[in-house]
Amino acid sequence: MSDAPTHDADEFEPVDVFETTEMDLRPGADDCYKCSTCDTSCPVAEVDDEFPGPKFQGPEQWRLKRKEDHEIDDSITSCSNCMRCDNACPSSVPLSQMHNTARGEYVENQRFGREALSALADGNPREALDIVREGQDGLVERLRNRILANYHTSAWLASFMPSVANFVMNFGPARWAMAKTMGVTSEREFPEFADHTFREWWAARGGAQVENPDKRIAYFHGCYSNFNTPEVGKAMVRVYEEFGYEVLVPPQKCSGTPMFANGMLGDARRHAETNVKNLAAAIENGAEIVASCTSCSMALGQEYPELFDLDGIEDVAAHTYEGVEYLRLHEDLEGALGEASVEGSEFAYHAPCHARNQGLDTQAVELFSDLDGVAIEDVGDSCSGISGTYGWKEEKYDYSMEIGEEMFEHMEHAAGETGMTECPTCAMQMEHGTGYEIRHPLELLEEALVAGS
Amino acid sequence: MATETEALVIGGGSTGCGIARDLALRGVDTTLVERGNLTHGTTGRMHGLLHSGGRYAVSDQESAAECIAESRVLREIASHCVEMTGGLFVQLPADDDEYFEEKLAGCRDCDIPAEVISGEEAREIEPYLTRDVERAIRVPDGAIDPFRLCVANAADAEEHGARIETHAEVTDVLVEDDQVKGVEIRHESGPGKRSHHEPGTTERIEADHVVNATGAWAGELGAMAGVDVEVRPSKGVMTVMNTRQVDTVVNRCRPKGDADIIVPHETACILGTTDVEVEDPDDYPEEQWEVDMMIDTLSELVPILGEARTIRSFWGVRPLYEPPDTGTTDPTDITRQFFLLDHADRDSLAGMTSIVGGKLTTYRLMAEQITDHVCEKLGVEGSCRTAEQPLPGSEDFSVLRDYMEEFGLRSPIGRRSTERLGSKADEVLKTDDPNPVVCTCEAVTRAELDHAIADAGTDLNATRIRTRASMGNCQGGFCAHRIAALLHPEYDEATTRTALDELYEERWKGQRHALWGEQLSQAMLNHALHATTMNRDRYPAASDDGIEYDRFDAGPPTPEAAADGGRRDDAHERADSREDDHGD
Ligand SMILES: Cc1cc2nc3c(=O)[nH]c(=O)nc-3n(C[C@H](O)[C@H](O)[C@H](O)COP(=O)(O)OP(=O)(O)OC[C@H]3O[C@@H](n4cnc5c(N)ncnc54)[C@H](O)[C@@H]3O)c2cc1C
Ligand code: SF4
Ligand code: SF4
Repeated sequence: MSDAPTHDADEFEPVDVFETTEMDLRPGADDCYKCSTCDTSCPVAEVDDEFPGPKFQGPEQWRLKRKEDHEIDDSITSCSNCMRCDNACPSSVPLSQMHNTARGEYVENQRFGREALSALADGNPREALDIVREGQDGLVERLRNRILANYHTSAWLASFMPSVANFVMNFGPARWAMAKTMGVTSEREFPEFADHTFREWWAARGGAQVENPDKRIAYFHGCYSNFNTPEVGKAMVRVYEEFGYEVLVPPQKCSGTPMFANGMLGDARRHAETNVKNLAAAIENGAEIVASCTSCSMALGQEYPELFDLDGIEDVAAHTYEGVEYLRLHEDLEGALGEASVEGSEFAYHAPCHARNQGLDTQAVELFSDLDGVAIEDVGDSCSGISGTYGWKEEKYDYSMEIGEEMFEHMEHAAGETGMTECPTCAMQMEHGTGYEIRHPLELLEEALVAGS
Repeated sequence: MATETEALVIGGGSTGCGIARDLALRGVDTTLVERGNLTHGTTGRMHGLLHSGGRYAVSDQESAAECIAESRVLREIASHCVEMTGGLFVQLPADDDEYFEEKLAGCRDCDIPAEVISGEEAREIEPYLTRDVERAIRVPDGAIDPFRLCVANAADAEEHGARIETHAEVTDVLVEDDQVKGVEIRHESGPGKRSHHEPGTTERIEADHVVNATGAWAGELGAMAGVDVEVRPSKGVMTVMNTRQVDTVVNRCRPKGDADIIVPHETACILGTTDVEVEDPDDYPEEQWEVDMMIDTLSELVPILGEARTIRSFWGVRPLYEPPDTGTTDPTDITRQFFLLDHADRDSLAGMTSIVGGKLTTYRLMAEQITDHVCEKLGVEGSCRTAEQPLPGSEDFSVLRDYMEEFGLRSPIGRRSTERLGSKADEVLKTDDPNPVVCTCEAVTRAELDHAIADAGTDLNATRIRTRASMGNCQGGFCAHRIAALLHPEYDEATTRTALDELYEERWKGQRHALWGEQLSQAMLNHALHATTMNRDRYPAASDDGIEYDRFDAGPPTPEAAADGGRRDDAHERADSREDDHGD
């Protein structure tokens, strides 16, 4: 800047101090016409009076912000990322994308804060220091969120010695300490780790038992069926092999769902890089991608391209399916089930919000109502309330249970004494609220269709 | 009955408000009259660019130098009205290199800080700029809120003893023996705050000196006094986008042309403009092609504009002035300078001065010069303080706050409110009462609205310009009635309803030129809500005939009613008695 007085020159320096998730979603606010339908469908807004709701969180907050603005309201951390608002909006406002991105920015900026910077720029180092100190108060919470979000890592560590991990994780004083220091609620039992992971089982059986270049799928098992419920993964493999598919199990990391919900977009992105690379290779190899967890299929199929710009990410999204969905599309699943039967069992089925978003909320009931020996009942369209890591946070536990109340009641009223759902965290909540055992639809498919199971 | 004042200022735009403040600060007994609300004229219908002077750096260097100097002053004295966005003059492949160099040299000549950046750097600053950008000149342009600016000037004038009278139209200028004695005004309601449903009155105001600051209307005022003031009103269109596609003022770097600037303004972006001479500043065509051209041409610069949501369009008329016999035919060639017309010198008519031309950015300087002149006529000593004395709201203005803790407001809401209120934020927002957000698009809370209403009375458009309430994407669909409801119970139902209708109609006017895409859906939804759900298109209490009860049937017969048909007759009786009422 030429002959300008210095203070003027300074004003026009670009402020580019730390890397942010540079995503300008303000234009997305164009689609909102303020009808508030999203607010009326938000389970958190219904129980948490402090939560301003999706309309504010999404289009309003985006429209009110300025590009250089790093100030995101902290209420964004109250959104559970159930994505019901996405579905409710009649005008296709990208609400969850807005929430995820805002949350990412919020977390990113908590550390320093734009205010601290501008205080410095204004020549008030003392004020800047105070701001940074205040920011540190949020550190513990951030750490907690990071641990919950990086379930993958803790689960991986724990899987080396599951019995010790189970003991420590559920040991009262340890839990108390966690609740006190990190705000993880002590009301919940940590999920048990299986004595072997799905991938160990897969390796032990020698990988795929069926080879078929014409019918290939790449299984995205995610963290939970790898570490906690390998039986779901096994069911998935056996059912697909029964239909003559060659199953690939590419190397993979967490889908990112818990990280989106906690604003850890940086972490999520690193995991996404691995996933996209390996899944894109599988697609190249003629496979379609199938996940057994509805949040994983949601992440790969919708959130990935919304949040990250990676080579092949659109391709991965376009080729991703949920486990039952894919079979219904490509096989005569109804026909096969029509001839099968299982021993009398009655299920109370809950459709996870993320299944609802993918239009999969009715598939289990439609599919199994004609299966001999099975009675299945939908327990309604309320949200289970746990929404992944949301219900694990101490300050959210009560809300989470309040949201879940309707589902618990309907489960009690349903004839079945066994729960069914596709989502592992909904399963935890269902079990927590009712004490029922919870099954995955793929497990029932295995029982009905795979000989000897 | 006549009232008296030393100085009478006609026109409540930036010029008039600036003059009233300067006069009042110098101790002159001052009255300002404005026929609408403040900013009713061109000031309320302009682009909101705080000129760095870059736009005039080639064609009109005197104006350019004034702009940069005044823009520095306004950043100090009106910080809560100004957002220093910075500006770019962007060169596309079709634009001339030579002009680019002239622009750069011109900026430097006028002491306007200017630096050349590459196309890539420009796109880093503004990612939605077209990929074709060659390079750009970066200048300290900004955005200014003309409404808040005028209200702050008027408030400070009032604070210093001036009388500010809105909704008071000058209907005659009183001349006796080549001397202007004062004016006659017609109050729309009574004097003071406007109150709907109050009958109008007239008033004679005698003044030692009259200042005609009526901008594009200066010719009409001149005619009332029997003198010629040769303003050449020239209209320009501006189109408001729903969001900020750019956060920097973006100018196309080429010699004058239509549709060559985008100004980010609060939550929105304003595209502009055109320059077409009109006969009558109150009656000129508003044409769709002007809006279409705005979007088409500016999409070359920022392609996303082609698909973005437009929320409204409006037109303003420039008060261009040309000294007699200059003979310019193209309005864009007319100077942007302002002129002080001393009618005593010019037309041998003492007691009146007109001010014409100029722009908002230099309003303070214009006011200073006029005030110097008026003070000389009045024999008042005292020097101008408006360049140093901050406007109300601007003192110690800081947005570094914890909104949740201090005001119980979510941060984007707290920040927007605090920016608008400036140093008045504490006084207005610290309340023990519940303080819900009433206008969600622009994040305006009840406390801020109540504060504005206390100032503006039942004139909800005046409340609107103070707060921005109803200026967002729903254009009042979801908030106009909530804002109007705040008038009750201080004002009765009929007053409240009329105030609501006026606000809603004003919002509708601008949307007529944006009825496609999302804004069309919005308009339809608004219409359904207001006309159908609230029944406002057939609101019985609003109709002159009252309610025609006999159009209703008697409802399902009750056992007794069925026996003698009593209910139906009752209904008739009620209708009859109402008719009697009307007869009175
Ligand atoms: C399209 C357009 C874009 C512009 N953009 C910019 C910009 O970006 N930056 C900038 O600095 N400048 C800009 N300008 C110029 C700027 O808006 C004007 O120069 C400025 O607002 C003029 O203010 P004013 O007070 O002189 O006139 P006005 O604001 O018109 O005020 C005159 C007032 O007198 C009142 N009045 C008229 N007759 C009577 C009567 N009989 N009795 C009582 N009151 C009466 C009117 O109601 C009106 O409110 C723009 C102008 C236009 C048209
Ligand atoms: S994602 Fe769920 S919790 Fe979050 S705002 Fe939307 S509906 Fe509410
Ligand atoms: S449902 Fe969609 S259009 Fe309606 S308020 Fe919510 S985001 Fe806006």
